[in-house]
Amino acid sequence: MTRSTAVIGALVRRALNELTRVPGAALPGVLAPSIFLVGLSGVFGEAARLPGFDATDFRTFIVPVGLLQGAAFTGAATGVNLARDIERGWFDRLMVCPAPRVTILVGLVASAALRALLPATFLLIVAFALGVDWPGAGALAIDALLVMGLATAMALYAVLVALRFKTQQAAPLMQTVGFMAVLFTTAYAPMDLLAGWMRAIATVNPVTQVLDGVRQGFVAHVTWAETWPALLATVGLVGALGALAVRSMRRVGV
Amino acid sequence: MLTGIAAPSWALAARTLRNILRRPQFLAPLVLMPTLFLAINTGGLHRSTDLPGFPEVDGFLDFQLAGAMTQSLLLGGVMQGIGTALEIEGGFFDRLVASPIPRVSIVLGRILAGTAIAAAQVVWFLILGAVFGVSFHGGALGVLLVILIGAIAGTGFAALGVLIALRARNASTVQGIFPLVFVVLFVSSAFFPRALLEAPADWFADINPLSYVADGMRDPIISGISATPVLEGLAAAAGLVLVFAALAVLALRGRLRDA
Amino acid sequence: MPGSAVEVVGLERTFGDFRAVDGIDLAVAPGEVYGFLGPNGAGKTTTVRMLVTLLRPTGGHARIAGFDVASQPGEVRRRIGVALQEAALDLLMTGRELMELQATLHGIPRRGVAARAADLIERVGLSEAAERRVGTYSGGMRRRLDLAMALIHAPEVLFLDEPTTGLDPTSRSTLWDEVRRLRDEGTTVFLTTQYLEEADQLADRVGIIDHGRIVAEGTPAALKAEVGRPRLDITLARDGDAAEPDADLAGRAIAPYGDLCAAAPGVHVSLRVESGAAAMAPVVRALDEAGFTVEGIELVRPTLDDVFAEKTGHRIEGAAPPAPAAV
Repeated sequence: MTRSTAVIGALVRRALNELTRVPGAALPGVLAPSIFLVGLSGVFGEAARLPGFDATDFRTFIVPVGLLQGAAFTGAATGVNLARDIERGWFDRLMVCPAPRVTILVGLVASAALRALLPATFLLIVAFALGVDWPGAGALAIDALLVMGLATAMALYAVLVALRFKTQQAAPLMQTVGFMAVLFTTAYAPMDLLAGWMRAIATVNPVTQVLDGVRQGFVAHVTWAETWPALLATVGLVGALGALAVRSMRRVGV
Repeated sequence: MLTGIAAPSWALAARTLRNILRRPQFLAPLVLMPTLFLAINTGGLHRSTDLPGFPEVDGFLDFQLAGAMTQSLLLGGVMQGIGTALEIEGGFFDRLVASPIPRVSIVLGRILAGTAIAAAQVVWFLILGAVFGVSFHGGALGVLLVILIGAIAGTGFAALGVLIALRARNASTVQGIFPLVFVVLFVSSAFFPRALLEAPADWFADINPLSYVADGMRDPIISGISATPVLEGLAAAAGLVLVFAALAVLALRGRLRDA
Repeated sequence: MPGSAVEVVGLERTFGDFRAVDGIDLAVAPGEVYGFLGPNGAGKTTTVRMLVTLLRPTGGHARIAGFDVASQPGEVRRRIGVALQEAALDLLMTGRELMELQATLHGIPRRGVAARAADLIERVGLSEAAERRVGTYSGGMRRRLDLAMALIHAPEVLFLDEPTTGLDPTSRSTLWDEVRRLRDEGTTVFLTTQYLEEADQLADRVGIIDHGRIVAEGTPAALKAEVGRPRLDITLARDGDAAEPDADLAGRAIAPYGDLCAAAPGVHVSLRVESGAAAMAPVVRALDEAGFTVEGIELVRPTLDDVFAEKTGHRIEGAAPPAPAAV
């Protein structure tokens, strides 16, 4: 068991290397959610005057979207890195070592959860500087959990794509799906204000639950009723995608 | 002298277009991403038309279409820039310079290719809009005006892309410009009426040529053709072409001088 | 054969219609160096990938150190070391960090990781470069690090896929010495190569592969002896302004002393002889008497390329590398 944690720790450390050793690489991903926050609220800010927003200003309303976008992008980046490792032959080295495939998978995606906290933190700093209200420590704790969970789920999805296509050219497939998963939700407006077709998608999209769970502290108070669906959706996504990813890892080379 | 420039320019433009059409996967992001944004914005914020001060429209999609077009055209410019930078890195550019064609044609060729692609992009969104129920209040003439403004603006963005490529060191620098596309669009009236933008975006939007381009393409769709927005749109687009094409030619001369 | 380090029976791998590996049987005894020789595209890399559990065979089976690659891959992985064609290294990490990561991946207890990594770095002569990023290493250094990583857990069987391709002669020589040392220590080495010299020098036994099948197998000496006798390659001088020397006439003159064979590239006439150097003098005399002037005469012993050509009708692509600098 200790050997497994050692393997996971070593792989996570390697993944975090890229942050510290290629400083410019992480920058776009960290800045992007903040840029979107400022830009989108500057453009669509007045929309919050529509009844249904319950007196929340638009910027506050979309902060959770930025948090989850950062998570999605970080998850996709994990997959792109894996695709690169596959192209360069490094992944062969992992497949040939005796460590169990599940352990290796955990090592690959665990870094995503940690890395997702970077853009999230930066976004929150920007948001609070622009006047968004402090949602409370409890809310932020739940948000951190949900952000890390979604990042893990996205990383698992991206790993599946990487294992399937074995090339970095599949990167847009990883990024776009993550993007859409976060935005085809109650991202820009509450459920009642969404167009019919959008409402239908948002209803079945599990990420909507996650988004609402992150949003509750910002627009109102944290309640268990809003929190458990978010946790369930996150666990469900991680579980389902994780199972598929484990199977895919075990079948490498077949 | 002009005929001496025209022929090689067309030839280079044709070559660029052929290369792009051979690899359509590079075209897809140009329209796919703005289409996605269009869907998301419309699906999420379609009730914005209820806001006091929102112009008279049949639907939010009708309003948003011009914004999606502008975004797509900007991305087209970035793509031309990346293509140019790759050519420079790959050495084809040097071969062109060493050939007897007029230097200006090297730049014009790619810019003209941008015109053709821009027109295609605008047509895509017009068709998309028609499929999803947008009615074009300006009629056939309106549609032509939209394509005209879009094509000219797209030419200007292609010129901007070429300009950046000539000044930048490599293709990844040009790619780094890509996020700025979003920033510049955010401070314009591409996606939301200028009257409803919050400060300080509204101030930037007033001086941002993209606002006028977008509004110029929007007017023939949502209302009958009104002189002011259309003329302003044409002027803004033409201005972009003149300024960036001139700068691109200057950048080319500067680069050749230093080489 | 029980007790084999590597045992392969009827191994096959098809990709769609293409049979990359078309029924291979071989056995490698423990402590042996087995050379898998063949041109590019022959199926060497595909075979190795199956033996190291990176690729599932579509037919036949293979056992490494007693364990089946398809049904017991975990056990196999514990006992093998692998250095594949592209030195697969993370260029952002230092040599030491990579070695320690490799050690952890192979289950070496935390306490022993640093020491073990340092030992192997020293063994391959990279101690001075250990704290530098791998991106700064030369090709030879990267290959050495690759080898060290393959040895981190003291494997029973080491697989080297084209280990010296692209290396300068000195680096090649260093690597050859390391392989010999490993063999002396009792490690079984399975190496693939397209270089005849390499197979000839290093391997205890050689398996020659072409189009997915083994066309010949045995010790280098035995294989070459099988192909036959040495050959005299003769170049004739021109007679002043005269045209090319009449090779047919020359051939008839020396025919009694051996068997004429197709002239090797660049010479006028080639003759297979029984007695090697002893045949030189009578051949030269015969040519002299026939009015020819011998410009050059060389006794060429059969090479593995000749073995290959004999068995397959064509030669291995990729010239043999220059002989490594004498150390």
